Amino acid sequence: MSNQSLGEFEELVLLMVAALHDEAYGVSILENLEGKLSKKLNISAVHVALKRIEDKGFVKSRFGGITNDRGGRRKKFYVITALGKRMLDDQYALRTAIYQQIPKISFS
Amino acid sequence: MKLPPPQRPLKFLRWFCREDYLEEVEGDLIEVFEKQAAVSLRQARRIFTWSVLRYFRPRFIKNFRPLYSTNVMSILRHNLLITLRSFSRHKSSFLINLTGLSTGLACVLLIYLWVNDELHVNQFHENKTRLYKVLENRVQADRIWTAESSSGPTADALAADMPEVEYAITTTHIDAHTMSVDERPFKAAGLYAGKDYFKIFTFHLLHGRKSDLLKEKNNIVLSESLARKLFNRADETVLGKIVEIDHARQYTISGIYEDQPHQATEKPDFVRSFEEFRADHPDWVSTWFSTGANTYVMLKEGVDVNAFNAKIATYVQKKTNGEVKHRTMFLKLYTEKYLYGRYENGVEAGGRITYVRLFSAIAIFILVIACINFMNLSTARAARRLKEIGIKKAIGARRNTLVWQHLGESMLLSLVSMLIAIGLVVLLLPYFNVTTEKQLTLPFNLVFVGRMLGVIVFTGLLAGSYPALYLSGFNPAAILKGKLTSATGELWVRQGLVVFQFTCSVVFIVAVIVVYRQTQYIQSRSLGYSKNNMIVFEREGKIVESENLESFLAALREVPGIMNASATSATLTGHVSGTSGVAWEGKDPNDRTEFENVTVAYDMLETLGFELSEGRSFSRDFPSDTARIIFNEAAIAFMGLKDPIGKVIKLWGEDMEIVGVAKNFHFESLHENVRPLFFRLSPENTSRIMARIEPGQEQATVQRLQQFYETYNPGFTFDFRFLDADYQGQYRAEQRVAVLSRYFAGLAILISCLGLFGLTAFTLERREKEIGIRKVLGSGELRIVLLLSRDITKMVLLAIVLALPLSYYLTNSWLSSFAFRVDLNAAYFILSGVVALAITWITVGLQALRAARLNPVQALKRE
Repeated sequence: MSNQSLGEFEELVLLMVAALHDEAYGVSILENLEGKLSKKLNISAVHVALKRIEDKGFVKSRFGGITNDRGGRRKKFYVITALGKRMLDDQYALRTAIYQQIPKISFS
Repeated sequence: MKLPPPQRPLKFLRWFCREDYLEEVEGDLIEVFEKQAAVSLRQARRIFTWSVLRYFRPRFIKNFRPLYSTNVMSILRHNLLITLRSFSRHKSSFLINLTGLSTGLACVLLIYLWVNDELHVNQFHENKTRLYKVLENRVQADRIWTAESSSGPTADALAADMPEVEYAITTTHIDAHTMSVDERPFKAAGLYAGKDYFKIFTFHLLHGRKSDLLKEKNNIVLSESLARKLFNRADETVLGKIVEIDHARQYTISGIYEDQPHQATEKPDFVRSFEEFRADHPDWVSTWFSTGANTYVMLKEGVDVNAFNAKIATYVQKKTNGEVKHRTMFLKLYTEKYLYGRYENGVEAGGRITYVRLFSAIAIFILVIACINFMNLSTARAARRLKEIGIKKAIGARRNTLVWQHLGESMLLSLVSMLIAIGLVVLLLPYFNVTTEKQLTLPFNLVFVGRMLGVIVFTGLLAGSYPALYLSGFNPAAILKGKLTSATGELWVRQGLVVFQFTCSVVFIVAVIVVYRQTQYIQSRSLGYSKNNMIVFEREGKIVESENLESFLAALREVPGIMNASATSATLTGHVSGTSGVAWEGKDPNDRTEFENVTVAYDMLETLGFELSEGRSFSRDFPSDTARIIFNEAAIAFMGLKDPIGKVIKLWGEDMEIVGVAKNFHFESLHENVRPLFFRLSPENTSRIMARIEPGQEQATVQRLQQFYETYNPGFTFDFRFLDADYQGQYRAEQRVAVLSRYFAGLAILISCLGLFGLTAFTLERREKEIGIRKVLGSGELRIVLLLSRDITKMVLLAIVLALPLSYYLTNSWLSSFAFRVDLNAAYFILSGVVALAITWITVGLQALRAARLNPVQALKRE
C-alpha cells in the first residue's frame, strides 16, 4: 500500500462489494451498509466511493440485464479484483498486528 | 403502482451528468426513490432532489466542450468572402448604406465630442466635490431672482462663523488691464482673489511656493502664456520681477501657473491679492448692503450641503440685524454651475444641459435613421439572397449561424463606416470648433477607442438585427421550391420605418425654420436704440481721471468720421449693476426690486439714439443735472407715477428730480422682459466710452481713432469692440443651435432620401415587367409615374401628420424661453410638409420617370 490509499468509507464499500460478491450494485451496497452501520446514508456517497475505488483498480464493473424496474435502467454490478482483495488483506493484517500489540489492561 | 420521481431534478441530472455514469446513477436513484416513496412520498421527493444536487460535483459533471470543434477561422473567412461579394454585386445599395451610416456616425462622433467636452467643463478641479459658489435668491416684486454674487464680507464671515467651512475666499470679476514690463504694453485679463484661491481651485503651479503666492499685497501670479508675452520666457528667473499694471502700480511676481485647460470657465491671465482690493475699496468690501463679489467656499470632508444651506439661509438677515430680509444665501456646486446654471423663480431650471440633451437626442435619431436605411435595403433585397440562405439551411446551417453571418455583415459595414466617419471628423473638426467655440480633438486613448467599438457594435446590431432575424427565419423547403411570397407584415415594418424616418425629417425641418426665424427676429428687432456702428472701449490711463474725461470726449468728437461720443457705465447688453435704493412716495417699505442703474456722461442718450416719451435729456444748459434722473417707461409704470416730470424721488437717500422718461428699450437679452431702469448723470462714475461712427467709412475711422487714442494715451493699446458684436454675444447659444440644427437637419433629410432612393430603385426593378405590360397595353407615362409614387406619397403624408403635433410641441417649448419671440405660424408647418413632399417626389419621381420611359420591349424580352 505504498502509493494506494483507501479512505475509511471507501474501505467499508470495498468490504461490502466483496461480501455481496455477485450481487453488489449501488442500492444493495447502500442498504447493507445502512443495516450494518445503523445510520442513514446517501446514495451519492456510495457512488462517489465506488467510482474512486474503481479508478484505483480495486473493483471492476459490468452492466446487468434490462428490467422493468428502476425506470428501465440497468443495474451496474461491481466485483472485487485481485488487487482489491490484496488491499483488504493487507489492511486486515495491519490492523490485527497493531491490535495485538495492545497491552492487556483491565478497564473494569 | 409506481410513482414517477420528480421531473425537474431528473432533467437537471440528465443535463449535467456524464453519459457513462448517467444510467447507473439514474437507476439507483429511482430505485431508492421508489422504495422510500412507499413510506413517505414527500420525503422521498425531498431526498431525491437532495441526492441529485449532491451529484453536482466535478467527478459526475460531463465535459461540455463539443467533441469536434468547428473551424471558426474558416467560417469567418467564408462569411467575409460572401459579404464582400454581396457588397460588390449590389454596389448602389452598398454605397447608399455606406454614405448614410458614415455621415450618421460622423454626426454622432462630433456630437459625442461636444457633449463629452461640455460634461467635463470644470471637472478637472481636484476638490470639485467640495467646491461651492455662494449664490443668493433675491425676492423682487414680480419674481425671485437668483444672483451669482454676494456681499464683500461673506467669505470672511463664513470662514469665521461656520466650522464646516475649510476655506472661503472672495474674488472680483475678471477684467482687462494693461500690463507692462519696460514700457511694452499688453492687454491681459485677471482678477483679485483671496489668499486661499490656489488651494480651492486646481492650478498647475510651475514656479513659486504655493503658500506664498498671494502673501503680500503687491504680489501677482501670472499664467505661463502671459509670462511668455511679457518676458519671452516662463522660468524661475521671472519670479521676483516687477510688472506694472495700467502704468500705475507695480507688482512683484510670486508665481507662475500653467494656463488653465480649455475646459475651465475661468481662465485668468493673472491673479492679484484681494487685500489690495480691500485697501482700495474698504467700504464696499465691508458692507452687507451691496453685492457684486464672487464668494467661493470649500467645505470640509463629509459635510452635508443641504444641512449647511439650511443653516445659512438667514445669514444675511442675521448679519444686517434683520434689515435685509429678501436675500437667501445658498451654496451651489461649482462644477454644476456650468450645466445647470439657469434659475427660474429661485428654482433650478436646467441651463446648458438642455442643449446637451437635445444634441444627444439628435445624434441618436440621425444614427437610427441611417440604420433604418440598412434594414430596409437588406430586407428589400432579401429575395436576392434567398437561394443562398435556403441552401445553407438545407445542408445544415443552424439559424444562429445565419444570424451571426448577417450580423457580421452589418458589423463590417459599420466598422468601415466608422473609419470613414473618423476621417470625415478629422476634416470637419476645425470648422466644427469654430462654430461651437471649443477646442475639440479626437482623443485616441483607450476609453475613446472602447466607446467607438461600443458604437460600432451597437450600430451593427441595430442595423443588422432585423434583417438577420428576418432572413434566417425562412423555411428552406419553401425557399428552394420558390414558393416564398413576401408577407404583408414585412411590408408593414418597412413602411413603418420609412414613416419614422420622414417624421424625424419633418420635425427637423420645422425646427430649422423656427430657430432661423427666431434668430432673425432677435437680430432685427428694434431695441429702442441703434446698436449699429457703435464702438466701445474702456476708460484707461489718462481718461480714468474725471477731469480729463470731458476734454477727451470733446477731442474724440472732433475725429473725422465720429458722429457722437460719450461715456457710460453699461453697454446695455446684459445686466451690469442694479440697486434697490430708489424710494418714491407710496413705495412698499419691504419692496427690494432692483432698478438697473446706468451712469452716463452728457450726450450719451443722444449718442445711442434713445427716444424720450416725455421730458428732456441731460444737458449742459442745466447746471445741476447731476441731481436729476431719467427713468424708462417700465420704471415709471412700476412706481405708478402719474405726470412724472418734475416729481422728486429719493436715490440712496438723496433727492432726485425726474426730468425725462425714456421709451422702453432692451438692455438685456430678449429672454427677459424690460425691467425698470434709470439713467443718472455722473461722468466720473462711468467706465467705458461709446462712439458712433459714420456708416460707410468704418475702417478708415477706426484707424484714425487708433492713432488719436495712442497719441492721447501713450503706453495703452486701443482695444475696442463693436456694440453689435457684444449684442450678438448674448445669443451665442441660440446661434450655435441655429447653425448646428441646420447642418444636422440637412444630414437627416439627406440620409432619409438616400434610403428612399434605394428603396424606390429596388421596387422599380421588381416591377419592371409590370410597367412594361402596362405600357404595352397603352398606359401613359404620367399614369405610371403617379402609380409608382402613390405608395410613397401616402407614407410621407402620414409622416407629416405625425410630425406636426410633435414639432409644434418641441418648437413651442423652445420659444417659451424667450420673453420676446416670433409666433408659431401655420405657414412654417405647411412649408415643412411641402418641402418634405417635394424632396420625396423629386427622389422618387425622377427614377419613376426613367422607368416609365423605358422601352417596354427591353423589359419584356428578358426571361
